[in-house]
Amino acid sequence: MIMDRTSHVETAALSAEVEGLLDSAEPQGVFRDTRECEGALLLALLLLGSPPTPRPKTDPKAR
Amino acid sequence: MAEQAQGAGAVPLSAVVADAANGVVLALAGGGDPYALSRLLRQGDAMASAAIRVLGADALAPYALDHRAVPGGENDEAVVREALAAYPPGPDASAVSVWTYRGLVEASHAFLPGGADRFPQAPRAASAWVTDDPWPKLSHRVSQLAALALPGVAQDLADRLTARTDDLARGFVRAVRRRDWLQAAGLGRWLARLPDVPPTLGLDTGLAFVRQMSDGDPRVALHVVAARQFYGRGG
Repeated sequence: MIMDRTSHVETAALSAEVEGLLDSAEPQGVFRDTRECEGALLLALLLLGSPPTPRPKTDPKAR
Repeated sequence: MAEQAQGAGAVPLSAVVADAANGVVLALAGGGDPYALSRLLRQGDAMASAAIRVLGADALAPYALDHRAVPGGENDEAVVREALAAYPPGPDASAVSVWTYRGLVEASHAFLPGGADRFPQAPRAASAWVTDDPWPKLSHRVSQLAALALPGVAQDLADRLTARTDDLARGFVRAVRRRDWLQAAGLGRWLARLPDVPPTLGLDTGLAFVRQMSDGDPRVALHVVAARQFYGRGG
C-alpha cells in the first residue's frame, strides 16, 4: 500500500525544531569569577616575588 | 509572512519566529495597525503553528495591554488551538517545553474570549528545579521561560522565583559578561517582574544596554519591550 509519509516527516522535523528552539543549550563560554581571578593573580605575584630557594653553597676552593 | 517562509522552503523556523516577534514588538510599542495574531500567523500553516508554539504566551502579549490592542477574536482562538494541538509536550518533554506550553494555555485562558473550556487544561509542570538548580543553570532555564513573565500568567512561578532574586541578578550579570544577549534579556524581563531586585544591579540601564548590543535581535527586543510596557523597567 502506498502511503504519503511526507507530511509526517515534516511534522516530526518541525516538532524537533520547535523543541530545539524552546530548550536550546547554553552557548559555550568561559565565565571567570572576579574573586577567583584576584586570588590567582595574588598567588602568582607572591610566587614571583618570593626569594629563591636556598641552595647549598659550592666553594670553588674545596675542589 | 509565514506562508512565504514555508513556500520558499529554505527559510528556517527561527526566521519565521523572528518575523513574528517583530510584529509583537511593534504591537507592544504601540506602532502599526491594531494587533491580531491571526493576521501575523495564519491558520492552516504548519510553520505558523510552530512559531506560535515557540513564542508561547508572547504570541498573545499585546492582548495583555488592554488599552493598546483590540481583544483577540475567533480567528486568534483558532490559530492558538491549532498550535496547542500540533505541538503538545510529549511524555519525555523537557521542563521548559512543558512550562512554555502551560504558559500559552494560561495566556489563552486570560486573553482570548473563548474561555477556559475551549482550550486544553494547563498541564502539571515540575518545579523542583526552582529551588534545586544552581544559579547558572537556574538562570539559563528561567531565561528560556521569559514569555511567562506576563501579567496574569504563571503567578505561582513568579512567587517561587522571588526567593531566588539574587541568584537571577547574578545570572543577569553573568549573561551580559558572556555577551549572551537573549539570556540577559529574558532574565532582565523576569527581574522586572520580581519585587526585590537589588538597586545596585542597574537593571534599567542593563536592559537598555542589552537591547543596544543585541544588534536588532527581535526576540531580545521583545523581552526588553515587554519589561518596559508591563513592568516599567528598562527606561
